[in-house]
Amino acid sequence: MKKSVLICIALMLLVAPLFAQGAKEEQGPIVLKYWTHEDPNRTRIEERYIQEFQAANPNITIERTTQASTKMIELVQTAFAANSGPDIFNLSIEDEYQYIANGRVAPVNPQAAGYKDMKAVVDTYADGILDPVTVDGKAYGLPLELTNWTIFINKSVFRSAGLDPEKDYPKTWEEMADISEKLVIRDGDILVRRGFDFRYPYYLVAMLPMVEQLGGQLISDDGKTAIVGEAAWLKFLTYMQQWGPSGRNLGSPTYKNARSLFNKNNNDIAMANTGLYQIGRIKADNPAFYDSKEWMIVPFPVFKDAVKDVAASYYGHYLMVNAQSSKATQDAAWKFIAYMLSHAEEYLKEVSLVQPTKALLNSETYKNIPYSDVFTKDMDRGHIVYYGAASAEFQTLIRSAVESVMLSGETPEKALATLKRAAQELLDEQL
Amino acid sequence: MKRKYIGIERKEARWGFAFTVPAILFFSVFSFYPILNALYTSMFDKRVLSLLPPNFMGLGNYTYIFTSPDFWNSIRATFVFTMGTFIPIVIFSLMVATFMVNLKSKHARGFFQIAFYTPAVISSVVAAAIWLLIFDPRGLGNQWVNAFLNTPGIDRKWLADKTMVQVSTMIVYFWKYIGYFVILFITGLSAIPPAIYEAATIDGSSKWQAFWRITLPLLKPTVVLVSIMAMLQCLKTFSTQYLFVQGGAPRAPINVITLNIYTTGIRNQRIGRASAMSIVLFLIMLIFTWLQFRFSKSEEVEY
Amino acid sequence: MEISIKRIPWASIFIWTALILVLVFTVMPLVFMLTSSFMTSRQIVRMPFSWIPETFHYDNYIKALRGNDGSWIFPRNVFNSLFVSITVAITTILIASITGYGIAKFNFRGRNLIFMMIMATMMIPFEAIMIPLYMVATGLRMQDTYAGLIVPFLVSAFGVFQMRQYLTTFPSEYLDASRVDGLGEFGIFWRIVFPNCAPVIATLGILSFRGQWDNLLWPLLVTQSEKMKTIPLYISKFAEEKLTDEGAMMAVAVIASLPMFIMFGALSKYFIGGSAVYESRKG
Repeated sequence: MKKSVLICIALMLLVAPLFAQGAKEEQGPIVLKYWTHEDPNRTRIEERYIQEFQAANPNITIERTTQASTKMIELVQTAFAANSGPDIFNLSIEDEYQYIANGRVAPVNPQAAGYKDMKAVVDTYADGILDPVTVDGKAYGLPLELTNWTIFINKSVFRSAGLDPEKDYPKTWEEMADISEKLVIRDGDILVRRGFDFRYPYYLVAMLPMVEQLGGQLISDDGKTAIVGEAAWLKFLTYMQQWGPSGRNLGSPTYKNARSLFNKNNNDIAMANTGLYQIGRIKADNPAFYDSKEWMIVPFPVFKDAVKDVAASYYGHYLMVNAQSSKATQDAAWKFIAYMLSHAEEYLKEVSLVQPTKALLNSETYKNIPYSDVFTKDMDRGHIVYYGAASAEFQTLIRSAVESVMLSGETPEKALATLKRAAQELLDEQL
Repeated sequence: MKRKYIGIERKEARWGFAFTVPAILFFSVFSFYPILNALYTSMFDKRVLSLLPPNFMGLGNYTYIFTSPDFWNSIRATFVFTMGTFIPIVIFSLMVATFMVNLKSKHARGFFQIAFYTPAVISSVVAAAIWLLIFDPRGLGNQWVNAFLNTPGIDRKWLADKTMVQVSTMIVYFWKYIGYFVILFITGLSAIPPAIYEAATIDGSSKWQAFWRITLPLLKPTVVLVSIMAMLQCLKTFSTQYLFVQGGAPRAPINVITLNIYTTGIRNQRIGRASAMSIVLFLIMLIFTWLQFRFSKSEEVEY
Repeated sequence: MEISIKRIPWASIFIWTALILVLVFTVMPLVFMLTSSFMTSRQIVRMPFSWIPETFHYDNYIKALRGNDGSWIFPRNVFNSLFVSITVAITTILIASITGYGIAKFNFRGRNLIFMMIMATMMIPFEAIMIPLYMVATGLRMQDTYAGLIVPFLVSAFGVFQMRQYLTTFPSEYLDASRVDGLGEFGIFWRIVFPNCAPVIATLGILSFRGQWDNLLWPLLVTQSEKMKTIPLYISKFAEEKLTDEGAMMAVAVIASLPMFIMFGALSKYFIGGSAVYESRKG
């Protein structure tokens, strides 16, 4: 009977390749699978675009599926690993880049998307927007949105602590800590009200720029050394240590996330680090607070002795097309993407998503959004978030370093040594 | 049972095979094939998304993980969690089950069974959501402990401190599964014939003595079953740690092997290395199960 | 006589105190879930916490049922979860008991090897086989179908293990007697063995049911359309959008847990009954 078990195993191994599917050539009607993250407002307008698009293109059917955005990464990845990925999807650029690096997505077809040539596509967008998705002169995605973060302030909380929001808002990180100290209300060690708190999972977007302000870098310009400028990193880690519960106790990743509390206007938090879309969310969540004008937006602070003026990085979601889909499907996909993206103003008005087209950024609609100039200026001060084949791993490493100084009582020196060693190892593997 | 004819033996073998074949087919497709696939993958430097044929590394992934402090930390985290959860859970559920069997009222017994079991029916996502709220610095966890110890305003750092966050994951697990193991023990305890106890009472032994001399030895198969299950469950723990890390808890103290597999394989796309980790976890579980069997067989009791 | 009269109340007082302490520990978080489902998120993390909501905030339940997109898909998701979990519980009981019986009571070559191999599958973490398993499912065209949700879990290794352990002690004389009576092998299983598995069936059924009720990762991968989703997916999606709306989140939790509470309440009688069957056979 042992023999038969062996035969069974052998059979299984033989059958296995059957499960691997290649690209299927499709003829006639085209079905586009479009996976995107959950966003009720966007679903409403995109369902309408789908209706309109299908009416105009009867041979194309679009199956739009939404997933929780935290789950999108593994979902799309598993599907691609099994060679049955969606035809169209979007992820944040630092997670999407790997699809380009591994040749899993198809380059933009300008003609299918209704442009004369690639130059026309590039010219549509603000300068450099397509750079993150461009490899060897080919662009592999079109931006659904581009976001940068500034500081949102609750004016009445400031006033309740005897501060004048217009004058006293923090311009430097040192002031940020001192002002937060004045704003916090504690019950013993427990923070009942916080001044400002960071957005902890997003170390590349909002924390790496702090290091860069001090002259540090994640990766050297020649791409060979990780964690450049130890003094800068050390100062950043010391700052975070001081911020945390074992330092000045101003905040910690285990408190409720600041930007959602901000909307509630419940005297829980005075400042939050978030993007333009937050304005739309305040309006939806708490119209009374929105109308009271008791909130304002100020630029991303810099350290007092900063050597470089850097704002929070911007990041984006790009719509991409599966390279394993048939040529006809790919073309239909670009056509549909272009149709959706042609509604830039509606995306901005209904969903508060900024499509970085020149036309939109110069439009009255954009300029009429309160404080939109703060975002535009900060975008000029910042750069695109670090992306690369290992960006997620670098983020995990920075996170561990910050957590170890803030929460586990590690010294900044030791945390930095660990971070540097691991980051260098990661970098070396890629060379 | 002795077999007299070769015909009967053949027939028996045929029926035995017929009864097991559907399951074997099922496991071949949905378990053995994926496992062999994982074993095969662990020999390659395979990236999830890559279409290029992966480089063969032999045992390269294994030497890598065994020299990586990160993986050793995961082994530590897994063992601390397993020991800190499985031992208390087995001891407590056995105690609680013994108490419940001794309840006179059937209604009370039924009530306690339902009440203890209910946490297990709640989905892990919800359980984590409830406990994240309780462990919030302003939540019930701090309020209760501080009220009990009369230490107002102390933040116990349930999710922030490296020791406390490990204790917190154990609390959630303990809470979720105690009722399930209590029920397994009750089933085992109910299987012990009351006649044996009657005999023991006539002999004049106390309840306490009866427990040690009669209940425990007779319960041995159940104890072994429950501890194997509890231990395997703890070694495979994932969702509590995953959701806590998402909720802002530091990763390192609770970076159990499964969480590391997930991060390595899915987030960081190194499916080859993640498969090697899975195989190591698999072997650890295998060894533990075997040890437990050995240990339990060494002092077999007869009825 | 005097001693025993004094000793008994002490023992019961101790037992009751212990049980009530455990009860407080297991039930408090559930009560917390229930009361906070009627609160605004502000009230939930207030210090000190008040167990009785100031105003009953029914709104949470409406939000929970309506969903983010106002599609009212939640009842369908509850049905999916029930359907998948019940089906898996039934198939697991049937297949595990017949396989466990085959391994426990029939002697054939390769039996131990088969048993060990089935046991071994218990020990592989799902994350490790997720991708190959997904390839199998797509190869069999089971994406976004009930089959995709059910088939990979038709039977569990642990179920086979538990049944085999239980049936090993089953008296073989019963089986031989039935054979002499002329009952077929399948008839023996169905009429003699299976009915006697009641206590294990109850625990195994609940275990398998719960496994699917709680399964998040696999349905996430294998389903795409809203109407095929299960409760854990609904919850995780809901939690995502309503980031700090803990009140509504707890309302979802309460509704999602209700069918399970009811079912377990009903089954608990069977539990006690099942133990009785076990006792009568043994004793």
